[in-house]
Amino acid sequence: MPLIELAKIGKIYPVGNQQVTALADLNLRFEQGEFTVLAGPSGSGKTTVLNLIGGLDQPTSGSVVIAGRSTGKSSPAELAEFRLNHIGFVFQSYNLIPVLSAAENVEFPLMLQRLPKTERRRRISTLFQQLSIAGLENRKPNDLSGGQQQRVAVARAIATRPTVVLADEPTANLDSQTAADLLTLMRQLNATENTTFIFSSHDPQVINCARRVITLKDGRLQSDMQQTP
Amino acid sequence: MEFALLAWKNLWRNRRRTLITLAAIAFSIMLMQAAHNLAMGIYASMVDHGVRAGSGHIAVYLEDYPRSRDESLAFAPGSLIDEIQDLPEVARALPRIYLPALAQSSRESRGILLTGVAPLAERTANPFLKHLLPGKMIRSSQSNDAVLGCRLLDELKITDGNKLVITLQNRQGDLVSELFRVRGSLKTGIRELDSSLIIVGLEKASAIAGMSGKIHELAVILESADDEQTALPAINRLLRDKAPRAVSWEEAMPNLADAIKLDYAGQKFIFLVITLIVTIGVVNTLLMSVMERIREFGVMLAIGASPAQLRRLILTEALMLALAGIAVGTLLGSLITWYLVHYGIDLSRMMPESMEFGGVVFDPILRATWDFTWMARICLYLTLLTVAAALYPAHKAARIAPAAAMRKH
Ligand SMILES: Nc1ncnc2c1ncn2[C@@H]1O[C@H](COP(=O)(O)OP(=O)(O)O)[C@@H](O)[C@H]1O
Ligand SMILES: [Mg+2]
Repeated sequence: MPLIELAKIGKIYPVGNQQVTALADLNLRFEQGEFTVLAGPSGSGKTTVLNLIGGLDQPTSGSVVIAGRSTGKSSPAELAEFRLNHIGFVFQSYNLIPVLSAAENVEFPLMLQRLPKTERRRRISTLFQQLSIAGLENRKPNDLSGGQQQRVAVARAIATRPTVVLADEPTANLDSQTAADLLTLMRQLNATENTTFIFSSHDPQVINCARRVITLKDGRLQSDMQQTP
Repeated sequence: MEFALLAWKNLWRNRRRTLITLAAIAFSIMLMQAAHNLAMGIYASMVDHGVRAGSGHIAVYLEDYPRSRDESLAFAPGSLIDEIQDLPEVARALPRIYLPALAQSSRESRGILLTGVAPLAERTANPFLKHLLPGKMIRSSQSNDAVLGCRLLDELKITDGNKLVITLQNRQGDLVSELFRVRGSLKTGIRELDSSLIIVGLEKASAIAGMSGKIHELAVILESADDEQTALPAINRLLRDKAPRAVSWEEAMPNLADAIKLDYAGQKFIFLVITLIVTIGVVNTLLMSVMERIREFGVMLAIGASPAQLRRLILTEALMLALAGIAVGTLLGSLITWYLVHYGIDLSRMMPESMEFGGVVFDPILRATWDFTWMARICLYLTLLTVAAALYPAHKAARIAPAAAMRKH
């Protein structure tokens, strides 16, 4: 059984009295430990796919099943619980909580998981070492560079030991060297922890380092290829 | 880091807005506490003055004497005065007779209210008699000495030491007259009293009217107004198998009680308006702060927070705002109350005429009293209101659709 299965997905957004079809008849499967990129031009439906997998949004038709359970049949509270324990999100614009320090941002989902304080501390210090942001724990997001913020965001996403990390154009706001470092980092995590990574990107640098490339166009599957990075 | 810390940090995102809202809460608490404590102080002093000059904290009457003023409703006190006086809450039990009569000087005559009192006991309790110079007071209960209201003295065109004749109908229905000598005069500030009051010795008045020791009123002055709750039933117990009944000052002096009630109702209405305005301000602040953070709430939902947790976050922020405002407000309210308790507001220079309220004259220095229960209660109300005001913003935050929220900027 695949880890994630999207079956006959359709997603229509009402805009005024018009309807925008974001996704149409999309079937996708993802296995545990994948390192996959969703490619395609802007507006092709990449963010929508990630949101559906993460249970942030529901499809208009079709079903999303993750580890045997359908997101469409869950209450908002169950979805929150599911996201907390199984999903790690990384966003294009980092989206750190501005009033919290770097360490507190990473601690936030751990607090939601009710982990004891010592365990939270331990994980934060390990992650800050691993992601080369040790020493920045007490900085506020505004006092960090884009690359540093995105590392903190990655730390926040993986601190809870999620089943799958969903990253929506994580390198779009970073320069190419910073982007390359971040990708190396995520590939290491994928190799060592067997964490499943699903990215969206239209950056060739990102696409080239994925093992599987799914290309969307106008909300439909255009290609789905394995490659050696 | 805990949830509460995040809430506290969120509160200070928009420092100025939070400070303004906090100041509004603090200011309203301060205002309400100080105004309430001052009002309670003024009422207490009015009640104190009123009961001492009037019918006491508790008055003992026969039947409906306070309303009907029917002179035949008199009772023999017997040992009652001593028994009541022996109660721990009671400072004084003052027997009185009230008789409508005619006063004549050599030049004028006036209808008056002849009041027979026990001179020694009355002087210790009645604030107006207390201020009479030693030589101006009625010497004994049987003497022919009289103390007159100051206006009456003028109207009769007499002064201290002059004589006057008082004529009244005795219990047997005969007209009787007696000669009195003016010892002194008093000024209550209440026009009606000042122009109709004649105080004489109780035994003398009783003898003229043929009341054979019966009295109309037994005014009970308590050690403290707060003792009324325990003193009233205790006195009623002493009266168990006797004809007279004890009533509280509210019943004996309904004018004063109503005047206070009306005044406080007006104040309560103002408090209600203030509270309402503050609550609207709090709703506005919280709603704005929620609207500004829609995207962030979307992110928090994405990383695993539940809608219930977002709701709780907003409610915690509101609770903290309320508690901070209330702490500052109570501090300021207490400082003002402290000042008003110790120094008060001196109105004597502003209004040289004495001040009358509900038929009672009060002290020109307005002083507050501490009403801690009420201070705590208003804090509780404002806390509950602030949290209630946060319910709608919190509900809004909990209903955010995460995917749509994160597309916002
Ligand atoms: N909330 C929305 N309301 C209306 N249209 C939307 C909404 N979200 C996405 N869309 C539309 O759906 C399509 C796919 O969007 P998206 O998934 O963001 O694509 P991508 O991430 O590949 O740029 C686009 O045409 C976009 O305008
Ligand atoms: Mg997108």
